[in-house]
Amino acid sequence: MSIDEPSLARLMAASQRGDRSAYRALLVDCRKWLTRYFARRIAPHHIDDLVQETLVSMHRKLATWDSGRAFLPWLAAIARYRWIDMLRRQRDEAELGDNDAAVGAEDEAVHARLSIDHLLTLLPPKQAQAITLVKIEGASIAEASQICGQSESLVKVNIHRGLKKLAELIESE
Amino acid sequence: MKDASIDNLIDELAGDLTPVRPRRVARGSAWVAAGWMAGAAALLLIFGLRQDLAVRGMPPLSMLAFWLTAATGLAATWSALRMGLPGVGRDYGGWRWAVGASLSLPLAAVAACITDGHAAMEAARHGFGFRCLVQGVAAGLGVGAALFFWLRAGAPTSPTRAGWVIGIAAGAAGATIVALHCASDDVVHIALWHGAAVLLSAIAGRLILPRFLRW
Repeated sequence: MSIDEPSLARLMAASQRGDRSAYRALLVDCRKWLTRYFARRIAPHHIDDLVQETLVSMHRKLATWDSGRAFLPWLAAIARYRWIDMLRRQRDEAELGDNDAAVGAEDEAVHARLSIDHLLTLLPPKQAQAITLVKIEGASIAEASQICGQSESLVKVNIHRGLKKLAELIESE
Repeated sequence: MKDASIDNLIDELAGDLTPVRPRRVARGSAWVAAGWMAGAAALLLIFGLRQDLAVRGMPPLSMLAFWLTAATGLAATWSALRMGLPGVGRDYGGWRWAVGASLSLPLAAVAACITDGHAAMEAARHGFGFRCLVQGVAAGLGVGAALFFWLRAGAPTSPTRAGWVIGIAAGAAGATIVALHCASDDVVHIALWHGAAVLLSAIAGRLILPRFLRW
């Protein structure tokens, strides 16, 4: 199925009214569109991360789409913002000297782990635990819920809030 | 792994969906209008309306300065409100034209200085000049707060530019309120002290707000 503006706009309008199946279909289409969008702009190994970041941003800013206007320029504006933000983060990392060391894949993973470990210490413990379990160790929401002793929806909320806080922490550094 | 991760994310986001109320510029405009009225009410209740306003209205030069400043404030406000609803290809730069037109005030002040430097210095040194600056910045805080909260809940794609524009809108709003109180009709005073309120607010907006507008 081709991704066309009128269909996306209809799905988005339904999503704003709370239609979850329409929203899921919209997110799947947006994922395809964003993958193509970023493929022309960034290194291949960053594409999936940026697609995810853009989908989360889109989710947080759903109310800012005006149904009187086209959908794709709205999505493109969010995608571009996330893209610039990623470039800025890379720039900041370069300024901090993270790229100075010629590190192998394992070292790179260690550096990333150390960095995320540091940032996680700045979050409330429950948010850090939910992010560690689901986003770093790959547990499902249900598994994380059992381990943490929190409801599944609370785990999701903690992940969303924790990731938001992490982004703010990263940007403030 | 990544494909599965994005699939999971899509499931999570779809599961989290709740109905949202689309943001409308009209609602943001109402917030700004309320902010302006709050600033005006506070300043004018404390310090009062300029006394000749009810009797003979505002003199032409002050009237011209008032409307130039108001146009700058309105254009900056409109740009800031639109920045909250992003879209590639949208033009947010209309405020630059109004700012450009307002520069006629400092240019006129410079011309006045050249023509009669002593009188211009006297007008600039009036004791209430600094008071006008402080009042202008303070009176614009209502508009600044309204625009800040509108954009914080929105999705400005250039927080730096948004900070500038909020500052200009707030400063210009404050300057229009001060113009209703300040009895000076001197172009040097208006350009220097009322203009400084706009400039100071713009710089404060640029320096303080962007970090809070990132999302």
